[in-house]
Amino acid sequence: MPPITLLAIIIGVPSILLLAYVFIRGTTGLRRYILTRIVLTVPMVFILGSLVFFIMRVLPGDPVSSALGPKGTPEMIQQIRTQLGLNDPMIVQYGRFLGQMVTLKFGNSLVGGHRPIIDEMSERFPATLELIIPASILALVVGIYGGTLAASRRKKATDYAFRIYAVVIYSVPIFWLGLILQLFFGVKLGWLPISGRIDPIIGTTLQTHTNLYFIDSLITGNWSALGSVVLHLILPTITLGLIQSGLFVRITRANVIETLQADYIAAARARGIREKVLIYGHALKNAMIPVITLIGLQVAILLAGAVLTETVFSWPGMGSYLVERISARDYTAVQSVITVFAMLVALISLAVDVIYSLVDPRVRY
Amino acid sequence: MDTNIEKIPTTPPDEITWEDDLKKVGLLRRLLRARKWYGADWWFVAISSLAVLFFILVAIFPSWFAPYTPDTLVGPRFLAPNEIPAVSVLIAPSDSTISSLKDLAVDENADRPKVAVVMGASTSGDLNDTAKQIDADLISEGNGLRLRPVIERYDSLDSALQAVADGTDAVAVIESTEFAGVSQNYTSLREAGSLTGEVVSTSTKGFVMGTNDIGQDIYSRLIYGTRIALIIGFSSSLLSLFLGVPLGLLAGFIGGALDRLLSLVMDSLYAFPGLILAIAIAAVLGPSILNIIIAISVLYIPTYYRIVRGQTLTVKEEVYVEAARSIGARRSEILGRYIFPNVIPSVAIIFSVNVADAILTGAGLSFLGLGLPPTIADWGIDLARGQRFIQTAPWMITFPGLAILLVVLAFTLMGEGLTEIFNPKLRDR
Amino acid sequence: MTDDILYSIRNLTVDYKTRAGIVHAVDNVSLDIRRGEILGLVGESGCGKSTFGKALLRLHDGPASIPAGELWFDGRDLMKVPMKDMPEVRGAEIGMVFQDPMTSLNPVQSILEHLTETIQAHEPGTSDAAATARAEELIERLGIRHERLNEYPHQMSGGMRQRVMISLALALRAKLVIADEPTTSLDVIVEAKFLDLLKELQEEFGLTILLITHNIGVVAEVCDRVAVMYAAKMAEVGTAEEVFAAPKHPYTQGLLNSVPNIDMDEIELYKMGGEPPSLLHPPKGCRFHPRCPQAMEICGQQEPSFEEIANGHRTACWLYQAHEAAARAKEAANG
Repeated sequence: MPPITLLAIIIGVPSILLLAYVFIRGTTGLRRYILTRIVLTVPMVFILGSLVFFIMRVLPGDPVSSALGPKGTPEMIQQIRTQLGLNDPMIVQYGRFLGQMVTLKFGNSLVGGHRPIIDEMSERFPATLELIIPASILALVVGIYGGTLAASRRKKATDYAFRIYAVVIYSVPIFWLGLILQLFFGVKLGWLPISGRIDPIIGTTLQTHTNLYFIDSLITGNWSALGSVVLHLILPTITLGLIQSGLFVRITRANVIETLQADYIAAARARGIREKVLIYGHALKNAMIPVITLIGLQVAILLAGAVLTETVFSWPGMGSYLVERISARDYTAVQSVITVFAMLVALISLAVDVIYSLVDPRVRY
Repeated sequence: MDTNIEKIPTTPPDEITWEDDLKKVGLLRRLLRARKWYGADWWFVAISSLAVLFFILVAIFPSWFAPYTPDTLVGPRFLAPNEIPAVSVLIAPSDSTISSLKDLAVDENADRPKVAVVMGASTSGDLNDTAKQIDADLISEGNGLRLRPVIERYDSLDSALQAVADGTDAVAVIESTEFAGVSQNYTSLREAGSLTGEVVSTSTKGFVMGTNDIGQDIYSRLIYGTRIALIIGFSSSLLSLFLGVPLGLLAGFIGGALDRLLSLVMDSLYAFPGLILAIAIAAVLGPSILNIIIAISVLYIPTYYRIVRGQTLTVKEEVYVEAARSIGARRSEILGRYIFPNVIPSVAIIFSVNVADAILTGAGLSFLGLGLPPTIADWGIDLARGQRFIQTAPWMITFPGLAILLVVLAFTLMGEGLTEIFNPKLRDR
Repeated sequence: MTDDILYSIRNLTVDYKTRAGIVHAVDNVSLDIRRGEILGLVGESGCGKSTFGKALLRLHDGPASIPAGELWFDGRDLMKVPMKDMPEVRGAEIGMVFQDPMTSLNPVQSILEHLTETIQAHEPGTSDAAATARAEELIERLGIRHERLNEYPHQMSGGMRQRVMISLALALRAKLVIADEPTTSLDVIVEAKFLDLLKELQEEFGLTILLITHNIGVVAEVCDRVAVMYAAKMAEVGTAEEVFAAPKHPYTQGLLNSVPNIDMDEIELYKMGGEPPSLLHPPKGCRFHPRCPQAMEICGQQEPSFEEIANGHRTACWLYQAHEAAARAKEAANG
């Protein structure tokens, strides 16, 4: 079955089950909250999509003539434009666009092969997923642990070290970090590969079911492929993950410090609860709540970082696809990719809000 | 949130008089005294402000700092930092009259001249390039003369020079610095001049950051790149500010349908990955500085909007605003005298962080090739070029990236410090 | 140390490091708390009574420290106990009830979790079932139905939350309960119920209670003995009857005069002149002397010590130490 379907099942089924569980077990308040969030997501996606639509139509520059270049005669341009429906009234085009968003049938790409865009994206999407998930995990682990450590040793060396780290890592251009890592670990030391998802030769032995190479090599028992995939994942993950971690360190640290000053922490201390339990148990749990919403915000930065990381490491994901299609002036594809990004952002933010409502009981009742 | 009224205040009553004194003193002394009060954060702001001023200076007067213009081809390509450019010279028998490669040109049918080089030296590249060029010139002159030297490669400098001394080869092409050391052994040979007959430059300095793939001075390009980075950073931030702040004030103050509509649009924009939006806009508008500025500024309008709107809403509810309204103050007065001054510190903080972010986004865009036309000296473009040569010329990527880091760091630190000073509890929302 | 004194605090000083210098929030204060009594500690805002209360558990915020003093609780000096062992004392031997029960309870923890966590932190072997059983029993005793244990703090009323706080202090049968402004956030009727409950529990569990408050009315209602603090120092200690009927220290007198009385004839309310002093630069000599209507010359030169002037009744005031004052003044003049 096409990889995108398998992927949709892997992600979609547990999510729907979780949503159903929360819905059934939750109280009226929770149900209303979730429904509201879902309902609000839809307009957000459409607003973004429409923004993209208008930007691509209203601003100067004709995609078709750019794509054809100097070879295009005016007749050819008009012919292709009619073919693509670009000469229809704006309303018709907009309606068609909305339909495309709903059905995910984005049409064919303008240049280079005229493949259905959805096919190309379904190959690229798992690659991006395989990058952003480990990167986010790394960012969270480093960020949360580091932030809490810094908060627990306030005003001492560890604290300042982490604060400096957070500021510096935020200021480092992500693509430069990638380049430096490539230089050091790839070129100078030669330990790690610097481009692609898997060694090309080993790659031919891998049967792809989900297009998530890590999962695929596991389920087919292809250990050399697994090894190659992991090696190729290391540098891009570190690049994207470290950059993300800066913000998490700062916010976690600030939240834990603020939470530690709360009265209930002092009250618990007065009852003899140990400091470590206070910091990592109580304070961290309470401080985590705003961090969860932060993860939702971070998605935007994560995706932007993914675009750059994929470019640096020649990682065949959605991000590099976007850049390629822009250079090729394939505006249909560009529009579709951005719309998909918008949907992704909306969905993840919805998921984060649902998780948030589970964690913070104040929202439930 | 200290509800315990017993806690000893960290500003004991004495401090009140201290601050009163502060108001009587001039601005400069106030700044200096603030150092004691704010501690580390004061230093952050001070140092980063100085750094920012320095960068602005560099941007306005790049010629003070850069020895060359960014486009100048200053020498050989791929020169490592401080590597002295190797100039190729001809070594010929002392009694010959050869002074340039052209002198070796012979009739098309005659024996081709033999030239000695040391194996693996970069001079053979120069030899090839120059010979081809001279040959092309000769062809167009149409005298029937051609220059197609046979290149003899030797293991060592000595064997190459020996070949010329023996007469096996007509000349040797080696680096100018190499001959000086061994000339006493080869009294029959002399340095005949550069390959093209021009004066041999005896520069003993390299270029402090090396040269790039076409032979431009990286350091000069770095300096000129500051200009572009700061122009993009400041312009887009100012544009965002001038659009976002008024919208935020309006939405917060007037409320109602306008507020809801604007907020929905702004929230959607805010949630969207900035770089990707900028890419889309830039791609459609086309590469130029103005378009980049516009594209980036769209990204940050929601940030100003949200913070300003939030603060406006808060201030609107304050008692003193209600009091003002009850004595008949006009709405524009309330907006101008009460709300606006409260909003300024937050806006200043957002601005510095905004500039930092804008520079990063701008560099990212040019790195992807979607930003500026390639003729402009820009750090992002230089990094993209450097990536192709990461194996052979790693210095091409180190320096531009470092420059981005330092400038962005300066602005970020300034924002951090200002945040702590103006509002120690200000969170990122 | 006599057996009927549960907690003997001697020469306790608590310092706060501020940007402008070191402040002695509690300055060389001594106090004895007797077994089974309810001792009230009163004073204005900023006099140091809350800091004092927290110091009894060696609980202090970052900038605070305890440079001097002995804390003889039940036969051992808590100051000599290593800091890492203090959590064993807190909650188990000495419990604390805080002023604002809304913020003193963890909003994301249920009441049951608060209790079981406390029990299991001190008695690690306790099973969840056993801890829950104890929690249920305890909360019922405090008048809350045990089904409500699974609720969260924001679902309860102010009075209920305060009772939860007491239950937490009692969960391990602490000997001493320090109540820091427990009724300040409660309305009058709830406050009255709370105080009744406090008295009941004291008798039932044999508790000793240190009640810190700025509300003299509360003190008059429930306390056996009263201690008065002013500007980080102890001004007067004695039984409630003695202190209320015949206050010795001029500050205590002023304090009692300030309480409006329905029987009063005067049209104007009595106000004590002046302001509490800055603890960064306290006045020389007796700290109250700038506001004291009976101040003498020596009051501005030398600090009076905290002396016993009648059985168990102590005060720090030159009015009652005339003889020593003259002698010391002569000593000071000579050298």
